[in-house]
Amino acid sequence: MTTPDPTVRVRDLGITFGRTRALDGVTLDLVPGVTGLLGPNGAGKTTLLRVLATVSAPDSGSVQALGLDPGRTDQRLDLRGRLGYMPQEPGFHARFTAFEFVDYVAILKELHQRRARHQEVRRVLELVGLGAVRGKQIKALSGGMRRRVALAQALLGDPDLLVLDEPTAGLDPEQRLRFRELISRLGEGRTVLLSTHQTEDVVALAQQVLVLHLGRLRFAGTPLELAGLARGHVWHSQERDPGALAAWRTGTGQHRNIGDPPAGAELLEPTLEDGYLLLLGGDQVEEAAA
Amino acid sequence: MGGSDTRGAWHADGELLAAYHDQQLDAAARWSVEAHLTSCAACRRQAGALVDPARLRRLREALIDAVDLPRAGVAERLLVRLGVAGHTARLLAATPALRGSWMLAVTAVLAFAVLAGWTHPGQDANLAFLCVAPLLPLAGIAAAYGPGVDPTYEIGLAAPLGSFRLLLLRAAAVLGTATLLAAAASLALPQLGPGVAGWLLPSLGLTASSLALATTIAPLRAIGITAGAWILAVAVTVLPPAPSSVLFAVAGQVAFAALALLAAAVLLVRRGRFESDRGFDTTPRFAARRLR
Repeated sequence: MTTPDPTVRVRDLGITFGRTRALDGVTLDLVPGVTGLLGPNGAGKTTLLRVLATVSAPDSGSVQALGLDPGRTDQRLDLRGRLGYMPQEPGFHARFTAFEFVDYVAILKELHQRRARHQEVRRVLELVGLGAVRGKQIKALSGGMRRRVALAQALLGDPDLLVLDEPTAGLDPEQRLRFRELISRLGEGRTVLLSTHQTEDVVALAQQVLVLHLGRLRFAGTPLELAGLARGHVWHSQERDPGALAAWRTGTGQHRNIGDPPAGAELLEPTLEDGYLLLLGGDQVEEAAA
Repeated sequence: MGGSDTRGAWHADGELLAAYHDQQLDAAARWSVEAHLTSCAACRRQAGALVDPARLRRLREALIDAVDLPRAGVAERLLVRLGVAGHTARLLAATPALRGSWMLAVTAVLAFAVLAGWTHPGQDANLAFLCVAPLLPLAGIAAAYGPGVDPTYEIGLAAPLGSFRLLLLRAAAVLGTATLLAAAASLALPQLGPGVAGWLLPSLGLTASSLALATTIAPLRAIGITAGAWILAVAVTVLPPAPSSVLFAVAGQVAFAALALLAAAVLLVRRGRFESDRGFDTTPRFAARRLR
């Protein structure tokens, strides 16, 4: 299997807010397809996505996306024309209808010709399944529909790079499923980077996984490779194993333990979540227990 | 002109449909063909074949487009009529300062300031108005632009239309509206004369300074500091027994003109600072707009 050329190259990226080092020496490559970005709260996921979306400027290091350098004004504007960004907390003008909101963003994206712009707005709203409610005010839409409106604006102009900050947050299982279908379709031929707290999203969608923790990149590879990190470190027991980094009772009544197994333990096939939890070690376990 | 099929039902023939399509029929014949078409699938198909599909598509799109057309407010329609491009008018219309409620509030504030002059006549009857008017564009910009205020600020930053351009567009709209309203109100001041325009240069100077300052600190804070400085300057210079303020005398006016020019230069040089979030909290903070 040949690895496609990276579409995004990040080298030694650093950014500091006040006294917090939000990103610290992050180096990574993105290739076409869906890449999932995992990490606990405060890991720097949103900061990384904002830098790639050209919203935040890094203090150090370099970014090259779609062959363009966002550090240079002219190239940054070109890049903005070819990227779609869905922020974690997209704000809406509440009086706007779904159509008006996406149309407004289309103007920000400099689609000036009205007829063509409106056609494009209808296209992206159809794509996220909101064609029928496009005339409704955003404040009258459900939370799941609003997230789809936010995704729709990111799809304007058929961007080559999609940066999605927790697109599935707050969705019910059925909506999440529909989002997954849509995003996996979008990942064909495009570079999609999405952050999530849901390891299931990554398993279902991503060809590549990144794990960020305390501003540093802790893992980059395939979902299988992340799961593989926990091989030999997941075992069954009747009671919670005190030596485990993390342990929980499963539906079968047995405990699933992650960490360094005792001799003779009954080992289990690891999942991506096991690999993720093991990678983050004690910090993540404490957070999960809190 | 019509024909019968084997079951005896009436059908429109090709010649009739062609005449209908070419709009050659008189009103009565046209209606009867239309009435028939609504109930006869076969004739509808035949009539449909005459229509140019490209034209039909165009008409359909125009229809859908007309239905989707965003509702334009009074200000937006006015801007378009004044020759502003449709998309620019749309960007400006999303500015609170161009909403009727905002203009009403500005008008009310100005009216009170004018009224204060009439109820306390004397040498300084215009003073309240002169002091209040320069603050209004600052309030307008505070409500129109920046992280936490503009709900689409973050999405806007990632869009090709520069954030600085958006800021300038909105500032111009806000300043223009406030200036027009203040100019109109100043004609109602008790002491007419060149002095009634004393608010104009401070207004420009303060607006430009707040924008220049916003290249260094968060826009809302920059506006707060500028407004605070103005209020302080007014308080210090207007204190009794001074019947007027040096701010509105020639020296003050020249100083504000210079300030406006200087701030504009700083703004131009440092405009690139508006093109990233600079670590500011971009979460839309105002409950009515914060929809998740």
